[in-house]
Amino acid sequence: MADPFLSIRHVEKSFGTTRVVQDFNLDVEAGEFVSFLGPSGCGKTTVLRMVAGFEEPSSGNIVVAGKDITRLRPNQRNIGMVFQAYALFPNLTVAQNIGFGLKVAGASRADIDRRVTEMLALISLPQMADRYPYQLSGGQQQRVALARALAPKPKLLLLDEPLSALDAKVRVSLREEIRTIQKELGITTVFVTHDQEEALSISDRIAVMYGGKAEQVGTPFEIYNRPATKFVANFVGTLNVLEGTVADAAAGTVVVDRQQLSLKGKLDGSRPGEALSLALRPEAVALGRRADSDASLSGRIADVHFLGSVIRIRIGIGDRIVSLDMFNNSSAPPPAVGEPAEISFSSKDVLVLH
Amino acid sequence: MKANRIWSWIFLALGILYFALPLIGTLEFSLKLRRGAYSLDAYWVVLGDPRFQQTFLYSVMMALATIVVGVLLVVPTAYWVRLKLPGWRPFMEFITLLPLVIPPIVIVFGYIRLYNTSSWLPLTGSAMGTNILLMFGYVVLALPYMYRAVDTGLRAIDVATLTEAAQSLGAGWVTILSRVILPNVAVAVLSGAFLTFAIVIGEFVMAALLSRPAFGPYMQLLGANRAYEPAALAVIAFAITWGCMALIQVVSRFAPKTPEQPH
Ligand SMILES: Nc1ncnc2c1ncn2[C@@H]1O[C@H](COP(=O)(O)OP(=O)(O)O)[C@@H](O)[C@H]1O
Ligand SMILES: [Mg+2]
Repeated sequence: MADPFLSIRHVEKSFGTTRVVQDFNLDVEAGEFVSFLGPSGCGKTTVLRMVAGFEEPSSGNIVVAGKDITRLRPNQRNIGMVFQAYALFPNLTVAQNIGFGLKVAGASRADIDRRVTEMLALISLPQMADRYPYQLSGGQQQRVALARALAPKPKLLLLDEPLSALDAKVRVSLREEIRTIQKELGITTVFVTHDQEEALSISDRIAVMYGGKAEQVGTPFEIYNRPATKFVANFVGTLNVLEGTVADAAAGTVVVDRQQLSLKGKLDGSRPGEALSLALRPEAVALGRRADSDASLSGRIADVHFLGSVIRIRIGIGDRIVSLDMFNNSSAPPPAVGEPAEISFSSKDVLVLH
Repeated sequence: MKANRIWSWIFLALGILYFALPLIGTLEFSLKLRRGAYSLDAYWVVLGDPRFQQTFLYSVMMALATIVVGVLLVVPTAYWVRLKLPGWRPFMEFITLLPLVIPPIVIVFGYIRLYNTSSWLPLTGSAMGTNILLMFGYVVLALPYMYRAVDTGLRAIDVATLTEAAQSLGAGWVTILSRVILPNVAVAVLSGAFLTFAIVIGEFVMAALLSRPAFGPYMQLLGANRAYEPAALAVIAFAITWGCMALIQVVSRFAPKTPEQPH
C-alpha cells in the first residue's frame, strides 16, 4: 500500500491544563474524502486547525505528502480552508476573493483571470464575478469561499462545518456539490461536521470523535452497521436500546422484559446474570412476526407518527421504547395506540454493547 | 405627552442658540472691517498674510505626518490586541484615554525634560528634531480618537477568521494588514484621520511651548494684536473643522459593506 497522503500521528493538544485532543491518529489516502463527525466540543475543529497550522500540537506530528509540516506556519502549508462563517473579504469582489491566493503567490494577471474564470464555472456562478460578498446569499458566499480555497491548487482541502449556517435545502444541495467538485478535482479533503446524515452521505470514510479521541474510523457503511463502541452506535443513526440480562451465554439466551431472546454466537465471553445493552436500528425491526426473523418481543403501541411515505411507530417493551419505520400502505391503516403488538428482527442485526 | 414635546423643542432651540449665537456674532463681526458696510476685507487680510500661509502649511504638513504615523502605530496595535491579546483591551482603552486626562502642558514639559539638548536624545536641539517631537506629541493627543475609531472599525469585521482565511491562502502579516485589515477599516481610519487633522490644525499649547511656527500660535498672536482679523480666522478654523466632519460623513458611505454573518 502506498504511503498515506495525510498522516496525523499521535497528535495531542492541551489548552492550559485541559487536554482537548488525545492521541489522535488518522491516515488519509490521496484523493480521499474523510469526515470528522462528533458532538460539539469533541475537538474536531482543534484537530483541523492543527492540520491547517492555526494551532500547534502539544505533541505528535502531521505529515502531508511525505513532509512533516507540524511546525510550518499556516501561510507556508498550501492547504485550502473553508470556514463556517464563509470569511470572504468584504472589500473584494467575488473574482478578487477567488484570485487572492494566486495574487499573494505572485501569479500573473492573465493566469489569475484564467483561473478565476475556471473556478467561477466550477461553482456555477460565472455571472457573479463583479459582485461583492454582501450581495450574495449564504450558499453563494460559501461556494465562492470554496472556489477561493481551491484556486491556488492546494494540496489539501479542509472544511470546518461549512454548511451549518445554511438552511436545510441549500445544505443538502451544497453538500452534493462539494462532493462532486472534490471528486472532479481529486483533492484530498477533510470535512468537519456534527451532522451524521451529512457525514454518512458524502464521505469515503468517517472518523467519529468523542472527548478528543477518534472512537472509530471507517466507511459510512461500517460506521453505521458495525459501530465499534457504544458511543458510535448511539451517535450515528437512530438506535433502539434494550436492557437485557444474560441467562445462558453458551446458548446465547438473554432475558429482556421477562421475555427470552436467543442470540446465538453473540454473547461469547459473557457471564450469566451480566447486564447488556442490545441495540437495533429501526430499519432492522418489523412489526408483527416475519418469516425471515428469528427473534421477537411483544409490547404495546406507544406512539404512531405519520411522516408521509413512512410511518414511524414506537412500541413500549417494558420501560423501553423501540422505534421502527414502515412504509405507508394506503390499504392498511397503521395500528392504534395502546394495541398489543409484536416486533420481530433477525438476531444477527442485534448489536451487543457491553 | 404634548407638553413634553413642547419642552423638548424649547430645549433644542436653547441648545442651538447657545451654540450658534457666538458663531453668528463672530461671523457678523468678522465682516465689519470696513466701516459702515459688510465686507470680506478681514478675510483677504488674513488669507493674504504670508504668516498665515506659512503656519497653515506647516500645520497641514504636521497633520499629515501625524496621521501617517498614527495609522501605522494604531492599526497594527489595535489589530494585534483584538487578535491575540483580547484580555488587554481594557488596559489599552485606559492607555489610549490618558491623553484626555493628562493636560498637554504636562506632556510637553515632560518631553522638554526628556529630550532637551543635554539629554541622551537631544531632539529639541534642532528644528527637525523638534518637529518630530511635536509630531509625536500630536500622535499622543490624537490617540484616543484614532484608537477608538479603528477599534470600532475592527469590531465590524470578523478579524480572527479573515486573518486565518488570508493565512491559509498564503498571506503573511504585511499582506494581511495592508490588503485585508486596512481596506476594511479604511473608513474608520479616515474618520480618525479627519479628527486628527482638526486637532492638529487648532493645537496651541504644544506648538507654542516647543516654539514651532504652527497655526495655533499664529491664531493666538493675531488675536492678541488685531480686532477683526481674529474673528475671520476663527470662522476659517471652524470651517476647516466642519469640513473635516462633513468629509467623515461622506466617506462613511463608501465603507465596504460586511455581508450578513451566519449565527
Ligand atoms: N483556544 C482555545 N482555548 C481554550 N480552549 C479551547 C480553545 N479552542 C477550543 N477549546 C476547547 O477545546 C474543546 C474542543 O473544541 P473544538 O475543537 O472547537 O470542538 P468542536 O469543533 O468539535 O466543537 C472545547 O471544549 C473547547 O472549549
Ligand atoms: Mg467546531
